[in-house]
Amino acid sequence: MKAPPVRIKRTAHSLLSLKRHKLLYLMILPGFLYFIIFKYLPMGGLIIAFQDYQPYLGITGSPWVGFKHFIRLFTEPTFLMLLRNTLILFALNIVIFFPLPIILALMLNEVRHKMFKSAIQTIIYIPHFLSWVIIVSISYVFMNVDGGVLNEIIAALGGHKISFLTSPEWLRTVYIGQIIWKELGWSTIIYLAAITVVDTQLYEAAEMDGAGRLRKTWHVTLPAIRPVIITLLILKIGHTLDLGFEHMYLLINSLNREVGEIFDTYIYTAGLKNGQLSFSTTVGLFKGVVGLVLVVLANKLAKKVGEDGVY
Amino acid sequence: MSRNYKKLAALMLCSGLVLSACGGGNSNTNSQAQSAKSGTTAEAENVKAKITWLNLLHTASPPTDKVLSKIEEATHAEIEFSWVPDASKEERINTSLASGSLSDIVTLTILDNSSVRNALKAGMFWEVSPYLDEFPNLAAISQDTRNSASIEGKLYGVPFQKAKARNGVIIRKDWLDKLGMAVPKTTAELLEIAKAFTEKDPDSNGKKDTTGFMDRSDLVYGAFKTLGSYFGTPNVWAVDDAGIMTPEFETESYIQTMDYMRASFEGGYINQDFAVTAKNDQQQNFAQGKAGIYVGALFDSKNLLNMSKGIQDNMELVMVNDITSTGNEADRAIWAGTNGIGGLLSFPKSEVKDEKELKRILKFVNDIMNDDVYALMTYGIQDVHYTVDADMAVTIKDTDLWQQEVQPFSSSRPKEVGYKIHDADPLKVEAEKLIEENANYAVLNPAYSLESETNTTQGSELQKIVTDATYKYILGKIDLAGYKSEIEKWEKSGGSMIISEYEAAYKAINP
Repeated sequence: MKAPPVRIKRTAHSLLSLKRHKLLYLMILPGFLYFIIFKYLPMGGLIIAFQDYQPYLGITGSPWVGFKHFIRLFTEPTFLMLLRNTLILFALNIVIFFPLPIILALMLNEVRHKMFKSAIQTIIYIPHFLSWVIIVSISYVFMNVDGGVLNEIIAALGGHKISFLTSPEWLRTVYIGQIIWKELGWSTIIYLAAITVVDTQLYEAAEMDGAGRLRKTWHVTLPAIRPVIITLLILKIGHTLDLGFEHMYLLINSLNREVGEIFDTYIYTAGLKNGQLSFSTTVGLFKGVVGLVLVVLANKLAKKVGEDGVY
Repeated sequence: MSRNYKKLAALMLCSGLVLSACGGGNSNTNSQAQSAKSGTTAEAENVKAKITWLNLLHTASPPTDKVLSKIEEATHAEIEFSWVPDASKEERINTSLASGSLSDIVTLTILDNSSVRNALKAGMFWEVSPYLDEFPNLAAISQDTRNSASIEGKLYGVPFQKAKARNGVIIRKDWLDKLGMAVPKTTAELLEIAKAFTEKDPDSNGKKDTTGFMDRSDLVYGAFKTLGSYFGTPNVWAVDDAGIMTPEFETESYIQTMDYMRASFEGGYINQDFAVTAKNDQQQNFAQGKAGIYVGALFDSKNLLNMSKGIQDNMELVMVNDITSTGNEADRAIWAGTNGIGGLLSFPKSEVKDEKELKRILKFVNDIMNDDVYALMTYGIQDVHYTVDADMAVTIKDTDLWQQEVQPFSSSRPKEVGYKIHDADPLKVEAEKLIEENANYAVLNPAYSLESETNTTQGSELQKIVTDATYKYILGKIDLAGYKSEIEKWEKSGGSMIISEYEAAYKAINP
């Protein structure tokens, strides 16, 4: 007996469909459990944002303090600095980094030489597998003032040595540059996959109409991968305040902290290093709420302009 | 082929399960000890105890079992270490405290960290003062040390007894000789030397590729704080007769120290990237002959010399601990690390269930302070790692081997001073002597054992303001007015609260 094609309904909760598609539902069980155990259950811990949490007293024994930590977060002068730095870096990330893999994927798509293409792909994937520690260390070797390769070249050309690592004005450039170097190749994968499923008949039809390469890319390939682009963009917007801790933590020092300190690094130093678990939970909760609001808004906006959105 | 593959997979899965079962299981601490009858110390000695120890690792990798088995023999115990790299101690210790995944012995070195302090004050660990006198080595811990290591009058562990003040200046003697300069007595002379090392080509290679100082990104254990002592800066806090507290960075001498560093930076007499240089790079650079002055722990001299073997074979080092800014012997001063307390060996009540267990573990701590175990943890196994002469002077046979198998233990010694056995290496002997001398000029932190709520919750966040401002001033990014306004920011953001809380705490003790 052949099962009828599965139709995704908004609420497929009737027992009948459960019964009929037992196996399909069984297949989502691991993922479902993963989210319950690792994402939803720990949310209970957010309670400690409203307490002065002491580990050995536990959640039940720690005193309740209401919004004390929230008030501290929003009134501390660091808050505005954190917000500013985070937003600026996020904006740079969207404006500079986000389009690059798309462009690169389109370019790779035009390469007809199979061997050459896969060689290029392999080479640009490699940096993704290096950890931030390694990448920042490599940058350090290149950029430091005392014998860094880059500075030696600048000096040899008669320029002044630049302290890339200790000047606030260079931090963002270095940060984005490192992200591009590490993730550019890897980010093209999803776009390349999306491009491969474009119907070849469309290209043929376009050729019949006399479209050249650029025209075909612009009128066929790009519209075909638009949903993927929109989806990834919405997901990225959800991570506005969530730039990732490790990379920035490695770059920060006393001299560039004013532009480099972001929520992630602040949570680490205030929370884990100084043991203010409640306060850092507060910061984390704030981050999460902002992310949620932004995803919902971005999704609404996407729907408004006639795209599918994420959900 | 595929069948074998399946077998292998099954095997791996099983072994993984078994391993995780072992790892996740609770250590059945002293199961044998519990089967012993009564809890007298004498009887506890005959029981082979199983002891877990959450410990800090200052080296790249943990030690092998070679020395450990000897230590276990000598202490009649089975020790299981959980090593935490020193660089990540804050978060690891904090998460261990938070999740309750502790060991019988926990090495706590960051007693000023808020969550550690809270954990101690909340009674998470045994108060040990009533038991210390039952054990000869622990009984010998002076009342002074016990007081400084106490929090609100209670001692929550066995204090690490370390040398009070370990810092000084290490200079390339061969470079001094080449340039015909004398060992400096004042900070001004030291700056002259730094200048000469930068400009006069002390390594005679015809290139301008050397600096005076080689420093790292650390205002405390790097050059800054030690130089600060020479200018008369207090150790973190100063208190006057009226009980008024002043933080170090509001003193004139702190600013003088910054000016001094700034002059070195602007003249190029210090590595220009010192604000982002790691300790390891600093030592490597020094060993490679890139600079001639190292300000830090005096016993680093031996490591520096070892590292330079084969790269800078003509390196000779001289150590200096009597520099002042005035040239007056009377003004000698050197900051004392943490008032000579290296931290606590603490025993959580969640792991060490009763007095009997506690006594067995105290007995173990007592035993590792014995001469034989001290020698094991310091030099290794006789005739394997070292040879010793009639004077108890030790020569390490193979430095590399020693670094792998013995050095990781050295930071876990509860007592590092007052043993007969000693290093035959002249640099080491000299360093020990100078460190001992330092103790006479040690400047203590008067707020070390005082309580300030604001400092506990926000102290390290606020300290960042000061640290950043100090660096910026040294690198010429802000002027004195800019620095002062940053300090005002510190006061406004909670610094003034810290001052008044410390003053109140100080008055309570010294009415």
